[in-house]
Amino acid sequence: MEKPARYIGCEDGASTDIYKPDATSWLLTYPDTYEIGLPNQGLQILYELLNERHDAFAERSYAPWTDMEAQMRSNDLPLFSVDTHRPAAEFDILAFNLSAELVYTNVLNCIDLAGLAVRASERHDGDPLIGAGGHCAYNPEPLADFIDFFVMGDGEEVIAEITTTVGEWRKSGKPSGSRENVLRALGQIAGVYVPSMYEATYDGAKLTGVQPKHPDVPTSVQKRTVADLADWPYPRNQLVPLTEVVHDRLNVEIFRGCTRGCRFCQAGMITRPVRERPASQVREMISKGLERTGYDEVSLTSLSTADFSNIEEVVTDTIEEPGTCGRVSVALPSLRVDAFTVGVAAQVSRARRTGLTFAPEAGSWRMRQIINKLITEEDLYEAVRSAYSQGWHRMKLYFLTGLPSEMDEDTLAIADLAENCVAIGQQYTKKASVTVSLGGFVPKPHTPFQWFGQNEPAELRRKVDLLRERLRRNKRVHLKWHSPEATTAEGITSRGDRRIGPVIEHVWRQGGTFQEWSEHFDLRLWEEAMSASELDIEWYVDRHRDENEVLPWDHIHAGLHKDFLWQDWQDALAGFGLEDCRWTPCYDCGACTEYGIEHVVASPVPPNGGSQGTGQDLTTGHVVPVDLRPRAAVRGT
Amino acid sequence: MRLRIRFSKMGKVRFVGHRDVARIVERALRRCGVPITYSQGFSPRARMSFGLALPTCYESEAEYLDVPLDPDSIVDGQIACTGWGQGKLHNPQQMQAALSEALPTGFDVVALTVEPKGGRSLQETVVSCGWKFDILGAVTQEVEEAIERALASSEIETERKKKNELVRENIRYGVYDLRMDGESERGPIVVAELSAKPRVIRPSELVDVLAPGAEMGIARRTHQWIEHDGQRQEPLMLSKSLQLKEYS
Repeated sequence: MEKPARYIGCEDGASTDIYKPDATSWLLTYPDTYEIGLPNQGLQILYELLNERHDAFAERSYAPWTDMEAQMRSNDLPLFSVDTHRPAAEFDILAFNLSAELVYTNVLNCIDLAGLAVRASERHDGDPLIGAGGHCAYNPEPLADFIDFFVMGDGEEVIAEITTTVGEWRKSGKPSGSRENVLRALGQIAGVYVPSMYEATYDGAKLTGVQPKHPDVPTSVQKRTVADLADWPYPRNQLVPLTEVVHDRLNVEIFRGCTRGCRFCQAGMITRPVRERPASQVREMISKGLERTGYDEVSLTSLSTADFSNIEEVVTDTIEEPGTCGRVSVALPSLRVDAFTVGVAAQVSRARRTGLTFAPEAGSWRMRQIINKLITEEDLYEAVRSAYSQGWHRMKLYFLTGLPSEMDEDTLAIADLAENCVAIGQQYTKKASVTVSLGGFVPKPHTPFQWFGQNEPAELRRKVDLLRERLRRNKRVHLKWHSPEATTAEGITSRGDRRIGPVIEHVWRQGGTFQEWSEHFDLRLWEEAMSASELDIEWYVDRHRDENEVLPWDHIHAGLHKDFLWQDWQDALAGFGLEDCRWTPCYDCGACTEYGIEHVVASPVPPNGGSQGTGQDLTTGHVVPVDLRPRAAVRGT
Repeated sequence: MRLRIRFSKMGKVRFVGHRDVARIVERALRRCGVPITYSQGFSPRARMSFGLALPTCYESEAEYLDVPLDPDSIVDGQIACTGWGQGKLHNPQQMQAALSEALPTGFDVVALTVEPKGGRSLQETVVSCGWKFDILGAVTQEVEEAIERALASSEIETERKKKNELVRENIRYGVYDLRMDGESERGPIVVAELSAKPRVIRPSELVDVLAPGAEMGIARRTHQWIEHDGQRQEPLMLSKSLQLKEYS
């Protein structure tokens, strides 16, 4: 069997002797391999918070790899926790983290391996409740048939209410008919969505709405947001795995939420507002974390790390922390190029150099205006120059293709950018190279692009080929691309409605697990499943939606007003940019005003100056000026 | 100067692979502030050299590791810690305790010395290993007879896969000791001393000889032997009789 260490737990930081006979038991399950799932910060935060409670405890499990699954099935072994190897069905709650759509078939597989019916309606009163949270939960409908309850938004607070409600059910002995009652009670907790309490109605192919079946169930489900990250310095004891995992380092979340307003980015829309962790707390979490774990690398995580107030000072302090003997590497994921200065590069490179990834996302300035990623070519070249001058030989540039109104000249501009970066690098090193990673764009719910019809796989393939041909002779630009076929399957699940449930089940029943893994992905399974359900891929994936269309997630709220998103979509098509509201007046997207919360940002100005952190006046400073359109401050709700 | 460390690997952590063990040990060394040294280059790594690699899924009470130390850090035979251990002065016993504490459950440092660098590496000098393993569901009587036959014969023929090719080999030359040692709940227990030169003979190779068709239960390395002035000895003698913690 491959990598048996992923099934043994034993991590430093794992809770041992966690069993509490009278407490509500959670099995937190990541529906992908241990290596991918273990570092997940959301899961680790909930694990720790639940185990601090007297009325709850939590263990973890991960999707067993196919070799282990075969062994488990042939030996009648159920899904188990890695902490104590207890069977999944002995827990009160099986809670899944949904960070990507292509793991949905793994969710079904895990429920099945637990020995439970995959359809919620077929499960028995005493069976564990199946919960799910994470970014993909914001369109819960494709999984509505299988999941008992979804949680929207930050989990830190809502887990307490769920624990209490489920605890009462547990104390009652879970008698016949009680499942319906506990689900009804869960549905009344803010942030919790119980799909069986709602009914989807259609007019032909068209969805007409998702309505509650009972008067005490909310018409719209509101997300949960923790107002201040300072109250939640978790995980305090990050798990240190015994076997190598992705992001195998100390990870410290420095802020949550992002208001840069990139229009393709679901995370940046649903996690608003920006909540910075106090710099002193960041420093303490870094020092204590490094000392406790023995790691020599720390990643400062967020959606746009360089936007953290005083980021350079935090990086410097980390590197100068005496306990690390000057040998700590600082990884800055999600780095905006307009904030990666020589200063930051020099600091970061003082220890072992980490990989550098920049995400211009689009090749042409016109395209970047449309997606509201307002970084100029000069910003990128300056960042790249900073990196090469500080000793890096290669870097990765991340781009999307298949964006709204994208033309071939926009796609080809990616090659120009990459080649220019290499040319800059060659001034510093003969070994200079660039890896271009190209992803196919999948429109996501709760974003301004949610109305956009995704490019068909053939069109994405054509664009990939266009770039391949263009870069064929350039040995210093390596092109990697994401499968256009997988992008299609992601599109089906991303904006699907309840009718996609049977499609997911069909793919799973045909053995389609681990669809995120190219060696297991098979588009034919999805095509067969769609036609078995008499559903049209084009209608779900490639079709543009209009303003009046009822979207499958309209009853789920991330605070954002639908008319704000629509207006932003119209502005995108018109090439208008939108300012970052953490440093400029509020344009009332709804994320703060709906919930009476606001940004928690230490610095009143962008760390790197300028209206978008570029240090440049974008209204006049560029050959193709961007028009930053001020928004009316008040908007009807 | 260097630290020579002998550690055990028992219970569930037997499933951790060799490369992962190196990472685990490196983190523990840093947590304790051991004044380790680093390789040069673009991506400096902590210097460490292990004895013979232990196959994944095997337990051990005799894993060895040499860690070169910053020469300035030795003060009167004590180790002046750096980094997270800055200010601490540890004698070998204290360092042994600190490292055991810093290692995950299942790993324990069972002996530790500070000694001059130099000499041949552990990997070069280990000539044989002691092993203890049980055989799942095998009949004790039959295994006993098979051992007798094997030792009486000049041939112990085994099969193993080498680059997708089945290789047959007589390993009698490398079987120095082979005997029964009672029974576990899984089956009869066998102890063996097997050659490490020219290649490491694994206990699993013997299972087919001793109980054809049966599977090995849990195997444990008990010793790594080196030769010194014609004497067989262990790289680190245990200071007191080894009280191994058992982990389930």
